[in-house]
Amino acid sequence: MTGPTVSPDAERALVLVVERDPHVRDLERFFLNEAGFAVDFAEDGLSALETVQARKPAIIVTEIIVPKLDGLALCRKVKDDPALANTVVLVFSILAAQGRARDAGADAFLMKPLAERRLVETVKALLANRQSARSHPRKESSR
Amino acid sequence: MTGRTDHASERDSDAVDFPRISTGNREADMILHGGFPCNSINIVMGQPGTGKTIFAEQLLFHNAGKERPLVYLTTLSEPLSKVVSYAQRMSFFDVDAIGTSVIYEDLGSELAAEGIDAIVPRIVGIIKQLSPAIIVIDSFKAVHDLARSTQEMRRLVSELAGVLSAYDVTTFLLGEYTHDHIQTYPEFAVADSIVQLERDALGVRDERYFRVLKLRGSGYHEGQHAFRIEDNGLHIFPRLVTPSFRSYAPVLERTTSGIEGLDTLMGGGLWRGSTTLLVGPTGSGKSTMGLQFALEGRRYGAPALFVNFQENPSQVQRMVRALGVDPIQAASEGFHHLYTSPVELQIDSIIVDIFRHIEAKGVRRVVVDAVGDLVTAASNPRRLHDFMYSLVQHFVVRNVTSLLNFESINGITGSDDTQQRWSYMSDNVIILGRAETGGAERSLRVIKTRNSDHDPSAHRIEILGTGVRVL
Repeated sequence: MTGPTVSPDAERALVLVVERDPHVRDLERFFLNEAGFAVDFAEDGLSALETVQARKPAIIVTEIIVPKLDGLALCRKVKDDPALANTVVLVFSILAAQGRARDAGADAFLMKPLAERRLVETVKALLANRQSARSHPRKESSR
Repeated sequence: MTGRTDHASERDSDAVDFPRISTGNREADMILHGGFPCNSINIVMGQPGTGKTIFAEQLLFHNAGKERPLVYLTTLSEPLSKVVSYAQRMSFFDVDAIGTSVIYEDLGSELAAEGIDAIVPRIVGIIKQLSPAIIVIDSFKAVHDLARSTQEMRRLVSELAGVLSAYDVTTFLLGEYTHDHIQTYPEFAVADSIVQLERDALGVRDERYFRVLKLRGSGYHEGQHAFRIEDNGLHIFPRLVTPSFRSYAPVLERTTSGIEGLDTLMGGGLWRGSTTLLVGPTGSGKSTMGLQFALEGRRYGAPALFVNFQENPSQVQRMVRALGVDPIQAASEGFHHLYTSPVELQIDSIIVDIFRHIEAKGVRRVVVDAVGDLVTAASNPRRLHDFMYSLVQHFVVRNVTSLLNFESINGITGSDDTQQRWSYMSDNVIILGRAETGGAERSLRVIKTRNSDHDPSAHRIEILGTGVRVL
């Protein structure tokens, strides 16, 4: 089991899971909590978008097949919105759609079923990359 | 990023490779085209004593020692202590793996106390606590006995399938199911594969069969595959099927029979890759001619396989010596002997054994002495015929020249379907019998040669110390 890396006293990074399957939700909550993350859920793409705007999660873990707004459309909307574009998006789906996820602007793709080590390590690595990018922003080249 | 499908490593294609879990049994993997799909729900069904538990345990111990543990759950059909006790007697059992890589647990007491509602929370708990890669539930059918209604069982199966599909775990549900249950029990609807183990009583022995009834998203080797249970698990004999002739290049060459005077009657010898049926009564010289044919291969450096079911290895050695050949030297020169007692004869296994010997030893000549023993042993003559037909076609593709001895007093008669079938699949048919002049004299007659002239008249033969000679 991957141990938590976030101190219990520190503010825990929020993961928004967009998922309809109650079994996947239950397991995602358990393993992400175990790894030290706070977890929120949305059952469809539209409510997920509202949550993103309201709660500014560090990362969205979304299935593609969700109602109202599919996971890829959600990803495009987040990445197209300058206020949200920094939000990391991990597409975690039953569909073999890594190419489509990349085209939608997702930061990473994982295929189901849920293997906690793969999921937790991917989430951690994505957040570490984001942290690193914030700490060492690239200078724009001048012409 | 090290995820298997992260962006850094992907290309334009969204195609994915769906991994499989090996059964730990080479032949079963071959039948399943590589094993069971990962993250699948699989049913292993069969009556008590058919080998379900051994099959599942062989699979578990083969996959043990990897990153995640494997869990074996017993329910109400057999106590956990008994399952573990018997598992220890199998050679694949690894005591060091118990409690770490392979975890045995009992579900029976919770089931008895709480009913079937205990299962899903327990499985979820096991997933959260142990992160298992494989879960075996033995017996899942026994759970039906605790369900108060069909609806309750359906709800359980639906919930369980949901949990097991959500997580990266491969599940095996073992049970004493019959074919009727396939239509009525809900677990069969959610199963990604169904493997059946059967056992048929045949006289004083049993014949066991391994059969895949369903394998979603994959081809598999259809039909019944015979197996035996041995100390190291299931020993399966995949059903022999007719080979592909796409890359077959016929060899138009004759080879000598090793029987003096016979080649002349058959247009100059046997075509390489041909099959000859040698028919005759007891004592007519069939076995001697078979040995002569097999031993003749030594002259060409052609390994030969003499398959028989009556004379034991010592007797065959004496027969070889009687022909003036040292059996030890003959063995070193490529003469191989495969003996199976007619009491233990199971046609599937013997035919697969023949095929394996041919492949392993590069055999060019085969004698089966006698196919009548196979016919007697076969519980299903049609199955035997299909197997032998496939075997003969493999001979053709490999240019293996074969001689099949067949015991019959009256030669080939049109009224005997079995004889007719053997005759049709053979390129040449030779009949041994009494000379037409009567008395003790023996005769030989070539009644059929495919793609060759032959002398159809009856010829006297002698059985001498050096073998059979056609006069």
